[in-house]
Amino acid sequence: MNRNSLQNNLAMTVILISGTMLFATLLMGYAIYRTSASVWPPMGMMKVSLGYPVISTLTIFLSSWFSHQVKAEVKLGNISSARSNLDTTIVLGVLFLAVQTLLWNQLRNTGVYVESGIFASIMYGFTWIHAAHVVLGLSSLAWLRLVMKPTTNELWQKALNVEKFWHFLGIIWFILFLTLFVL
Amino acid sequence: MSGGFNEIHPEPTTFISKYIISFDHKVIAKQFLWMGIAFLGLGGLMAILIRWTLAYQGTPFPILGALLFPDTGGVVPPDTYAMLFTMHGTIMIFYAITPILIGAFGNFCIPLMIGARDMAFPMLNMLSFWFAFLSGAVLLTSFFLPLGAASGGWTSYPTLSTTLGSPGAGQTLWCVAIFLFGVSSTMGAVNYVTTVITLRAPGMGYFDMPLTVWGLWLTAILNAIFVPVLGAGVILLTLDRVFGTTFFLAGASATSGSGDPVLFQHVFWIFGHPEVYILILPAWGIVSDLLSFFSRKPAFGAKATALAMTSVTVLSTVVYGHHMFTTQMSPLLTQAFMTMTMTISIPSAIFFANWLGTIWKGSIRFDSPMLFSLGVVFVFGLGGLTGLHLGTVTTDLYLHDTYFVVGHFHYTMAASVLLGGFAGIYFWFPKMFGRMMNEFWGKVHFWGSMLGLNGIFFGMLMVGYGGMHRRTYNPFVYEYLQKLIPINTFITLSALFMGAFQIVFVINFLYSLIKGPKASNNPWEVGTLEWTIPSPPVHHNYDEIPIVRCGPHELGNPNLKTGRDFQYQTEELVEG
Repeated sequence: MNRNSLQNNLAMTVILISGTMLFATLLMGYAIYRTSASVWPPMGMMKVSLGYPVISTLTIFLSSWFSHQVKAEVKLGNISSARSNLDTTIVLGVLFLAVQTLLWNQLRNTGVYVESGIFASIMYGFTWIHAAHVVLGLSSLAWLRLVMKPTTNELWQKALNVEKFWHFLGIIWFILFLTLFVL
Repeated sequence: MSGGFNEIHPEPTTFISKYIISFDHKVIAKQFLWMGIAFLGLGGLMAILIRWTLAYQGTPFPILGALLFPDTGGVVPPDTYAMLFTMHGTIMIFYAITPILIGAFGNFCIPLMIGARDMAFPMLNMLSFWFAFLSGAVLLTSFFLPLGAASGGWTSYPTLSTTLGSPGAGQTLWCVAIFLFGVSSTMGAVNYVTTVITLRAPGMGYFDMPLTVWGLWLTAILNAIFVPVLGAGVILLTLDRVFGTTFFLAGASATSGSGDPVLFQHVFWIFGHPEVYILILPAWGIVSDLLSFFSRKPAFGAKATALAMTSVTVLSTVVYGHHMFTTQMSPLLTQAFMTMTMTISIPSAIFFANWLGTIWKGSIRFDSPMLFSLGVVFVFGLGGLTGLHLGTVTTDLYLHDTYFVVGHFHYTMAASVLLGGFAGIYFWFPKMFGRMMNEFWGKVHFWGSMLGLNGIFFGMLMVGYGGMHRRTYNPFVYEYLQKLIPINTFITLSALFMGAFQIVFVINFLYSLIKGPKASNNPWEVGTLEWTIPSPPVHHNYDEIPIVRCGPHELGNPNLKTGRDFQYQTEELVEG
């Protein structure tokens, strides 16, 4: 591995460790709230229906798969194909945010407001924080789209780092999906 | 993000690219230094206002008082007092110590001491400074809000820090500022970790790095792991304050799934305890190096010192519960946290003994950097030993939230780090600015600071042992504390004494910047890489990347025939 790749990989590793610690802190809090409540969801609230979260999960998974294709195509030198895969990744990412918005609307329509106690706090707060990171991820995808030219230095390395960050957001979402909605 | 190949970047030509939006690690280091010193002055002024209130209750603060508090005729009002101790803590920890020790020395020393031309990611480095600057600006803005700045203590425990305890926007801005600062620290950490791993000069193994770099590197690792924990905490606190979530609010529905104020304390101290080591590790590293340099001896057990610092770094992550013994924690947990805390004294004792081993029978040069380093040895010893009483559950239950705690953490975090920072400033000033600071006034500054801070913080230990609580506007409404008024007056006088001697430093610093005698390449006669190049270094540091052939502390070798008592790291180790 040349020094430039090593530096980029190290930097992304440190960033992902930091991001993991942020979400791990949230999940630790959630574990404490949940285990100290006698019933969950508390205060007579209903579990959130799985419809939108399942669509979100599928969308972000598909998006992750396409982002993997981007890097693979860059490695093969098929820039135009990488570009179209990247476009699909971005569209699916935006779609994910749209479905999240629908989820928040649904919560509000069923009487779960942001102010309605700890259950609502977690549902809104954690998905907001994740969505904010998805916006960051989309920005990095958009940046990759801008530099997606055959002349760019270390393009493969750039695609790899963006892919790692995008996968990270997918994995975090899957953990949130399992712990907040399924369990 | 594009990494550096150690290539020579073209020198910037415009004023803005040279001094403002600079990618040069040396300029960024100076930016952090100026920012840190400015905030140090502000935080110090707040400390004086706090001390004045505790010693001369109801007496107007001279000169400045009438300007700052016209409504009360110059007396610090109670709500302002709460803001003052909150912002004093926040500013000193995040905006004075962190920029100086980590921002300035991290940026300046890491590339120079490992023989690199710049950080791995110069642009990220520039962003790191400007995020810190923005964060500082946000924090300062909060003073001008109708209800003033945050006043829930630097720890910002709920419910003091929720909208119930702090209705104004000051606390929200505090959260935003801390989050921005966390982003800046994480950017710095990414850079420091990567730079140390990938840009060491050929031949430099990890144990050939100066201990300063070890300290800064371990700090960066802790920063990357634990700053996001506080980040999560302040995000949730902000959501509570702005959007009405109830993460940290315990309300009427306490039995049916409401929030949990104590959770914030957990989150805060999971970050907060490593933060203590984030601040002290760079100072330890600097002192470990300087003691060797000015004793003209190799650092005793340098490898053991590096490994002991690493052990402390690891252990610091599992002891945070000792801040929370009084939160109805299960006795099983308090015992566990107490035991882990005591374990930290083993590696601490190792490098402490190594420090003493280093100066033992050395031919010590008492230049100002050395005086400050010896000061660190003394005050850190005291700070560490008083920590044992607080890490023990039985004594902590009595001493918790008294001035004993304030004295203890000021000895470790304020006195040690400040003296370590000054040692570093006096030591690297010639390399940073190409001129020498005045030795005589440096020594005057040292003795003034040393006497002053011991008067302050030892006095605090005593009044704390006497039962005086921290964060109280007027503790002397309680009859049993009235006997402590004379000691409190003594502490305040010591604070004024110490403050006066900081003016000596500022004048010395500014005067030397312009009029100080020109520094040679290697005024202190030491062998680490930064002293092989001109003072100040050229834009790209090294015309040719040096090749490292020996360790950083090769001093006093009897086999040396060069007429010097030290050898450069670029020279083959002389053996008999």
